[in-house]
Amino acid sequence: MADATWQARGVVKGQAQGMALVSDTALSFLGDLDIRSGQVVGRSSDLLGACVAGRVLVLPASRGSAGAWRFLYQLKVHDTHPAALILRDLPDPSVTQGAILADVPIVVEPEAAFWTDLRNGDMLHVDGDSGCITRC
Amino acid sequence: MKLSDRDKALLDGTEGDAARQAMAALIQLGEAYDAPDMVDIGYAHVHAGMALYKGDVELIEATAGQGAKMAVPVSTNIANADMGNWQDTGAPEALGLLQKRAEAAHRLMGSATSFTCTPYWAGHWPTWNMHIASIESGVTVFANSVLGARSNRDGFFAVYAGMTGRYPRFGLHLDRNRQPTHRVTVTARPSGTADFTALGYVIGTAVGSGVPLIRGLQTRPSLDELDAMGVGMATSGGVAMFILPGVTPPWADDADAPGLPEAEVTEADIAQVFDGFCTGEETGFDLVHLGCPHASFEEMKHYSALLSGRQVSPGVELWVTTSRAVRQLAQDAGLVAPMIKAGARVVSDTCPISCHFACTCSPDPALGVVPPKLKTIVVDSAKQAHYVRDMIRCPTLFTTSELAVETAVTGRFQPRRRRNG
Repeated sequence: MADATWQARGVVKGQAQGMALVSDTALSFLGDLDIRSGQVVGRSSDLLGACVAGRVLVLPASRGSAGAWRFLYQLKVHDTHPAALILRDLPDPSVTQGAILADVPIVVEPEAAFWTDLRNGDMLHVDGDSGCITRC
Repeated sequence: MKLSDRDKALLDGTEGDAARQAMAALIQLGEAYDAPDMVDIGYAHVHAGMALYKGDVELIEATAGQGAKMAVPVSTNIANADMGNWQDTGAPEALGLLQKRAEAAHRLMGSATSFTCTPYWAGHWPTWNMHIASIESGVTVFANSVLGARSNRDGFFAVYAGMTGRYPRFGLHLDRNRQPTHRVTVTARPSGTADFTALGYVIGTAVGSGVPLIRGLQTRPSLDELDAMGVGMATSGGVAMFILPGVTPPWADDADAPGLPEAEVTEADIAQVFDGFCTGEETGFDLVHLGCPHASFEEMKHYSALLSGRQVSPGVELWVTTSRAVRQLAQDAGLVAPMIKAGARVVSDTCPISCHFACTCSPDPALGVVPPKLKTIVVDSAKQAHYVRDMIRCPTLFTTSELAVETAVTGRFQPRRRRNG
């Protein structure tokens, strides 16, 4: 697969790299993830059984919960956190607060080509400062 | 984002490393949500530091250890153990001692060690147009909807807001977002806090994270009922504010929102919430819980009157949960002794879903926390019922406060009866 670059909007600063884990369903950080293993346990997620640790998690949306920040931070404490998040829409402030605490970059609203070109398992670099996503 | 001279000074570290980090994080949050600038806040309700989450008490200790001091009045949210008597609830010694470390860290930073989800009953009462930050969604909805203060649903960053006295201007800090998105008509006739948690639960399900304007209530709800309705909405939906004309500042009695998406709440809808949270067997319960959110002084009076001269059935535990401040008031008023005499436990700082009963937490294994196997919990709040299901993962029986006491005394579940309307 050739190198490719897509523009998104940087929301949480930082650089990260990992294999893309792509979902078509919204994910709740409170309840859908097992903190100790990083496994998706929420039955409403199409990632059920997958592990988010070290992956660039690509989601249409996060489901709102005021407690989301704590669970994202707990993934970091247990070293089971995703490397970065790419979201279609701006998440709930609680998710953003958790990601800033956990040093997990977030970019949102990537350009349309990203959604058609991206393949599950692509190695991605996410630049939360510039909003740039690169396949490497 | 436009920064004041003091914001810039904080960012340059003139008030220490903790305040520098706090300001940098608040700026990043503000830029994410296109905040034009920061506002002065008058109060913050902050994270307790939870002993049931690995590294979480240490996070608060690290902040205090950097020399952080609170710039505005600060209260602390509900915690994972009763720091005055964790043995009474069966919490491991190591868990209680770890939770006490968070209390010490908050004292160093100048916060009131309230450890409650209802800090307003303990005296933290922000006023109209005051910007605040709150980690507890129930506090957010009460502040916005009853007191007319301005708050988003925050996470850990309420600590940063408390340390700096600043918060980015977005969300419900802006007038344009403090407007109704839905018009809700209540034809039910709710009465008492349990009913109002169920009413809120129905509304939150209907409007998601919208701002409902609520019509149709025949009488002005009591403060406890307003509180109950708000937490119900914040539990089933992401509601951060409701508008009750004549109650919510500055909406007058005749305020309306024609043309917006409509929802109706009938008695059948409320009964459905009670029925939906009756998943346990009517004689198979081992715990009855009163006081979600943490009881006010008025609720303590009510619970105490209901329990006076009664005796909790053998094999049943009855917990009444409240803040340590309200517990002290209740004790001074002679309200606690009759409850203890009846066989109840009065628990502060925590509650069933916040203590070691929850199985969705991630404590340090060295603490030796093993959630007990509970058969069924009887509750008088839709919020408690929702999180018992999701966090303790055991069946519930949901009824009114009065009938929950009858349930505890008789050993047989007493379901709520339908009301007219």
